[in-house]
Amino acid sequence: MMLMPPFNLHHPKTVEEACELASTFLANNESFDWVAGGTDLLPNYKWHINVKTHVISLANISGLDTISMHEIGAMARLGALTTSKDVHPLIASAASKIASSLIRNNATVGGNICLDTRCFWFNQSEDWRRSIDWCHKEDCGTGSDCRVIPNQNTLCVATYQGDLAPSLMVLEGMIHIIGPNGQRNLPVEEFFQLDGITRNVLQEGEFILKVTFPEGVEKRTGSYKKLRIRESWDFPEAGVASSWIAGDASTLRIASTALESIPRSHQDEIDGLESGFSSETIPQLSEAIMKSIKPVNNTALPPRYRKSMVRVLAKRSLREILGDRS
Amino acid sequence: MNHRCHQVMRGDVMAGGYRQQPGASSGEVRKDGKRVAGKQKFPPPGSGGSRPTMAPRDLDAIPESVGGKEPQPAGSHIHDRYRTGTEVGKPRALVDSHAKVTGQAWYGDDVRLPNEIIGKILRSPHHYAKIKSIDTSKVEALPGVLAVATGADAPNTFGVLPVTKDEHAMAVEKVRHVGDLVACVAAVDEATAMEALNLFEIEWEVLEPVFDPRKGLEDQDEPIHWRGKYHVGTTNVQKRVFQEFGDRSLVEDPTASSHGKWRMEGVHHGFTEPHAVVAHWDPNGRLQLYTPQQVPHYAHRALSTVLEVPMHQINVIRTFVGGGFGGKSDPFPHEMCAAILARKAGRPVRINFTREEVYWINRGRHPSYIEVKMTADEEARISGFDIDALIDGGGFASFGHVTSYYNGVLATAPYELGSFHYTGARVWTNKPASGAMRGHGAVNTRCAVEVGLDEMAEQMQVDPIDLRLANLLPPHSRTISGFRITSNGMREALERVREGSEWDSKFRQMPLGKGIGIGCGFFISGSGLPIHWDPNRFPHATVHMQIDMDGGVTVHTGAADIGQGSTTAVAQVVSEVLALPIEMIHVRSHESDTSPVDLGSYSSRVTFMNANAAIRAALDIREKLLNAAWEMLGYHPDVLVLNDRRIYYKHDPAVGVSYLEALHKAQEDKGSLISSGAYRSPPMGGVHKGAAAGLAPAYSFSAYVAEVDVDVETGLVSCTNVWAAHDCGKALNPLAVEGQIIGSCHMGLGQVLSEKMVYGRTGHLQNPNLLEYKIPSVHEMPHVTPIIVESSDPEGPFGAKEAGEGPLLPILPAVVNAVYDAIGVRIRELPLTPDVVWKAISAKTKALGGIDETELPSPRLEHSSLQETLVARGTEHKERDRRRQRSEDTSAYVNGVLFGFDPDQPLEDQVEGWRSAVEPVPEQLAELGLAGKAWLKKEQRQMGGDQ
Repeated sequence: MMLMPPFNLHHPKTVEEACELASTFLANNESFDWVAGGTDLLPNYKWHINVKTHVISLANISGLDTISMHEIGAMARLGALTTSKDVHPLIASAASKIASSLIRNNATVGGNICLDTRCFWFNQSEDWRRSIDWCHKEDCGTGSDCRVIPNQNTLCVATYQGDLAPSLMVLEGMIHIIGPNGQRNLPVEEFFQLDGITRNVLQEGEFILKVTFPEGVEKRTGSYKKLRIRESWDFPEAGVASSWIAGDASTLRIASTALESIPRSHQDEIDGLESGFSSETIPQLSEAIMKSIKPVNNTALPPRYRKSMVRVLAKRSLREILGDRS
Repeated sequence: MNHRCHQVMRGDVMAGGYRQQPGASSGEVRKDGKRVAGKQKFPPPGSGGSRPTMAPRDLDAIPESVGGKEPQPAGSHIHDRYRTGTEVGKPRALVDSHAKVTGQAWYGDDVRLPNEIIGKILRSPHHYAKIKSIDTSKVEALPGVLAVATGADAPNTFGVLPVTKDEHAMAVEKVRHVGDLVACVAAVDEATAMEALNLFEIEWEVLEPVFDPRKGLEDQDEPIHWRGKYHVGTTNVQKRVFQEFGDRSLVEDPTASSHGKWRMEGVHHGFTEPHAVVAHWDPNGRLQLYTPQQVPHYAHRALSTVLEVPMHQINVIRTFVGGGFGGKSDPFPHEMCAAILARKAGRPVRINFTREEVYWINRGRHPSYIEVKMTADEEARISGFDIDALIDGGGFASFGHVTSYYNGVLATAPYELGSFHYTGARVWTNKPASGAMRGHGAVNTRCAVEVGLDEMAEQMQVDPIDLRLANLLPPHSRTISGFRITSNGMREALERVREGSEWDSKFRQMPLGKGIGIGCGFFISGSGLPIHWDPNRFPHATVHMQIDMDGGVTVHTGAADIGQGSTTAVAQVVSEVLALPIEMIHVRSHESDTSPVDLGSYSSRVTFMNANAAIRAALDIREKLLNAAWEMLGYHPDVLVLNDRRIYYKHDPAVGVSYLEALHKAQEDKGSLISSGAYRSPPMGGVHKGAAAGLAPAYSFSAYVAEVDVDVETGLVSCTNVWAAHDCGKALNPLAVEGQIIGSCHMGLGQVLSEKMVYGRTGHLQNPNLLEYKIPSVHEMPHVTPIIVESSDPEGPFGAKEAGEGPLLPILPAVVNAVYDAIGVRIRELPLTPDVVWKAISAKTKALGGIDETELPSPRLEHSSLQETLVARGTEHKERDRRRQRSEDTSAYVNGVLFGFDPDQPLEDQVEGWRSAVEPVPEQLAELGLAGKAWLKKEQRQMGGDQ
């Protein structure tokens, strides 16, 4: 049994109230976390990882759980996405591969996008982390080194293992953010920011409102391939999503997740294709995508294997959207 | 008055119900509908169950040999005449299942005592370190802290095996792994206790740790434990074993051979319930300890030693156990800690583990390096097994002494061997201690051996099932190491999985990525000698029984039901013997105060030994009841029949008495009927050192066929179908046996496909949680077809043998062999995680000139002429086995007859060079395997040290 550390839970009823709460804490220099479904944050709290004094729940704010082809609210439950007829099939399919049905009933889209990066030197109890003298991501004030790649004290290489992000990227989603300083929006691929500690562009006090998709997204065919040992519960060890508007090679989008500290869009590799996208160029494209990523040893499967599998996943995903089943 | 008349008169009374008070009329009802006090309608004679009248005899559940219709292909059994057709052989829900499914079963964490406080354990942050000093003053000063204890409070050592007591309640001198117990504290609540843990001030002297078991074979400056004059050099070798039997010259010039080097990761039991203990010193100063223990008796002994309190002043209360699988069979340091804290604080203390602490206390399967060489001669007889097992024991001995033997000796059957050579070593490392886990010690070697056989079959171009069928030891024989085999259903198990899986139309015939494989198993059904060997011929199991006037039977047993259904098994056999509905049998097994000593739920001994003891106790009661009926009816017990709460004349069921009537008669002037039954296994086995390891009154046999799908591009293996045949002698409860088979399949699949305890670069356990320790989910479960084989063991209760551990063994090799059938690559690294399989596939495609994975050649089989020889021999042996099983042939049979030896003469006299050795001769030292290198060192006493 693990004891939850104490914190103050706040339940704002509106977005404005939430932002106000956040600005008050910021002004008073009090630490806080947002919580949506709690399936990522609370296990970390039980492990005494980055516990804050205050937790602001978004659960009681109404109107954040829209589910439609062009807009998905941050508080939409993953479980609801898997059965929805309104969302893009790629989102429904990617959501259905996340964790287990029990977790999906609680977990939210916003939470999944903002998933904390993971590392087996980090996702451990306090006693365990003390025994390795902490790590760079949660150094408890000791200035500890990274345990994955020692002797570099600048970067956290914890792995981002969110499942939805690559699918949102290949569907050209826009993330809408709100905070004490107002609202802003940006493409999903620009949301993530390198380093396993920084993770994304969210400033303190900001949270995700929703993700929107451009007109015509419904014409896109998509596919998400996920590598894991067990077909339930497990976080992805590698994941590749792709989509296009069938027949139009210029609309091809590919993104990967669970390989580095942030999910990655593979536009450069697509652009690097000299002879355009077709079933003949799939091997070449998959190879290029594989070469572009650099996983490290901090998840269940060894990095070399995960890297090699990117090629297989990319190949399978691309073949699927091409309708090529061979 | 003749008896028939008597019966008619009784019949009249019966119609009015069995009177509770003499003279009072029955069934009187008041005007307001309430019953009249003292005049309730008492159910009719023969009452007790929910049925108003006697059920007819269930002839389908009474064996042929005593006039029933239950077929007995394996022959009759000594217990047949006590069969009443009531419970044995019928699928029954476990008697404790209602409590469990309604959430009313009380597990360790459900015990709540008034005024209890919370204990927490301070654990070592170092792999290996000396404790120079511990300052607890700040801890004691923290408000809310009620007791603090350190190693100094309990200096006595304990351990589950009396020969290797190397544990303390808390570290006395040094800590031996990260997570080892250093100190403990009890406080008013958990938050305070956790805060207190941060206030200990400890001065450490960090020592150089050892993680690699191969390093453990080398001399160290500071071995993890010191065994005094028996210490092997200054290494970390805890136990070394050498065994050699048979004619080693047979292995020369083999027709086929297999040489495999295996690396098997450690696995954990992964039981649902984390350890939880509550200790309470009652007002009389006796310790009441609540703990989910598989083996309460050894915990009882260890508590007495550590606390320096006589055993009779301790009451060990076994709570419901939320899964054990061997992981709750050691006496545990936290049990001592709770007792010590409770004694200091004067209040009940609870200690609950987190999942991480469960992994730190471990006792899971040993990480192993196993090397198996085997050879077959020109007639495809197995001329030799040469096994070397280096096992990683972690920080403590636990069951390791036994595991060291089991890794070898449990491979001496079910096949007849020309020779057997085994070297084993268990070393201490600075990791959580390994111990006993379902299939104790037999699982890893079994996998290596069965895969080796598959490889030899391929070399000889024969079917691996036929290779096995032509090399089996028959029933009533003796293994090369001297184990006494009684019943043996191996052949039937192989035949039935072959048929069920349609093996002959699939093996080596499926497309790339689809495969089918075979594996067999052999396991002990109870260990012949108890762990605490006792010169006074103490029984292994004792059962007490008591029946009072209400007719309910209270059975007292110390057998620990850990979910395997031992309580149900006891209730069933008592119910069967006394012909009473099972709801009339109440099993009390939780407290050592009321339970006779039972050695616990390990080595698959419970059903065999405890049910045998229960049968004996029930027979005593049965005799008393029959004698009373004799007195009442005038018919001798030999012509009386027990059936559903009635005892009647065999040739006229109308002449009889109800169970209650007979009981009340038997109770005259005595009060409640009580009886006691005990079981002790017969003397058997060889006389060489270690002969007792692996010795059992009976052995179980099993054969599995597994079908797998392998994704050749990713290396992901999924097991789709399993046909699982297990010889459990006689299924007392087929439902429970099937549950054990399917559960074993699940557990074994975890070890073969995904589960491993990952020790990283720094020696830390990287995955002490259930997300990263990958137990297969229901999604990964194949469709399992359980097949029960009943070979009717002559000494088992109603013929039963174990079904709890043996069924786990074959799934590993079956899957590994199926993966070979699917992709043509032999992998000798467990678990077969996708990266391991992919690496092997890549190596193969590279070796074949860089072909694509999808172009891998699938292995195919074209029978050689040996195949016919094997089929002929198998057919011949089938008839031999049938006659021996049914005792139509009672001639002696020892391992070696297949090689032409005379079973009635000592083998040593027949063969020059027939060896039976437990120590290597000097010229062998050079050629020993990895673990065998432990024999290069001398013990301290031989070196003149540490007298």
